[in-house]
Amino acid sequence: MARDLAIDLGTANTLVYMKGRGIVLNEPTVIAVNRQSGEVLATGHDAWDMIGRTPSYIVAVRPLRGGAITDFDITERMIRLLLQRVGVSRFTRPKVVICVPSAITEVERRAVTDATRRAGASDAQLIEQPMAAAIGANLPIDEPVGNMVIDIGGGTSETAVISLGGVVALEAVRVGSFDIDEAIKNYVRREHGIAIGERTAEEIKIQIGSAEPGTDDREADIRGRDLVSGLPKTVRLTAEEVRFAIDEPVAAIVMSVKRCLSKAPPELAQDFLSRGMYLVGGGGMLRGLAQRIERETQVPVQMSPQPLEAVVLGAGHCIENYQALRGMFMGARR
Amino acid sequence: MTSLIALSVLTTVFIVLSVMSGVALLVTVYLDYRRSRIDDGIAAFRRHIDALSPESRRSSVTRDSDDGADWRYRK
Repeated sequence: MARDLAIDLGTANTLVYMKGRGIVLNEPTVIAVNRQSGEVLATGHDAWDMIGRTPSYIVAVRPLRGGAITDFDITERMIRLLLQRVGVSRFTRPKVVICVPSAITEVERRAVTDATRRAGASDAQLIEQPMAAAIGANLPIDEPVGNMVIDIGGGTSETAVISLGGVVALEAVRVGSFDIDEAIKNYVRREHGIAIGERTAEEIKIQIGSAEPGTDDREADIRGRDLVSGLPKTVRLTAEEVRFAIDEPVAAIVMSVKRCLSKAPPELAQDFLSRGMYLVGGGGMLRGLAQRIERETQVPVQMSPQPLEAVVLGAGHCIENYQALRGMFMGARR
Repeated sequence: MTSLIALSVLTTVFIVLSVMSGVALLVTVYLDYRRSRIDDGIAAFRRHIDALSPESRRSSVTRDSDDGADWRYRK
């Protein structure tokens, strides 16, 4: 008998929680496929290492963009492999709860549930990421008080106000940390005339990226291909340049937080001033982002203790209490 | 003739009584059903809220798998 599973199928990373066991898998949402035979060659960390470094017959892709499936067939194969790796076989079909962005369309929702059922699940239910994040971040969402959670993922950023176990206000934008990486790539190409890959752009973001000026503004040497000569070239990038480069996606995220605040009922809005907002998701770890949101909204912002795992832990709690929390699944409320 | 009239009166009384008992029974059953529906709603909401309490969440949100512990150290 297979144990039921909760999956955070993120644009950047996939995490799997097994009922009674906890998180059993955490790896990048990447799959490497042989273009000629269609065979899967690697998934997760192994496939991530191949990005931008493959011969022409191998393609390493992220099958999700903006939290939505862009390649149904590849996503189904990836979910099937994930389920196999955590012990699901042809004869053991677990119930699966999958975390998805709240902004996905009906078609995208059906694509996720169909892919999961075809991959071997007996039942596939969806839960909105901000709700799962609030459960996983241990916010007091069982009380009649306003809890605000900001989940910044690879492809989407979602802000939700939650009270008494339900979503009161919600705002989502399809802007995430991949858009920040893309902005860095474009800036380096435009201003320094060199081409860099998405892994280098992510490394720059982690090393010197920030949303607010700080005391430890640093510089980094980056290597890429000169667009004119075609030769390898090194340039020095400052933290201020990176801040300028990523301002547009960061501003879009902050604007969506402001829109969510304006949607919240006044009774709950006053709770935010005393309780603050909680930041979860890998994108929330960008240096200075909490301070930038705090400065622009005048509401205190706190980082969740487990920003990367909060969503899957929340979904895991739903799988542990499946009957009591059935009403939280997306299909149940529509 | 008199006995026939008396019999028909008795029959009518019995019919009226049976109809009234039937209606009363139906009303009782309906009210009980409605009360149980209300109680079900309250109980389900209570279960939902209880399942989200910090005590209920403590075990799952802090759970660390023995088998999965190595993922934290992978690059």
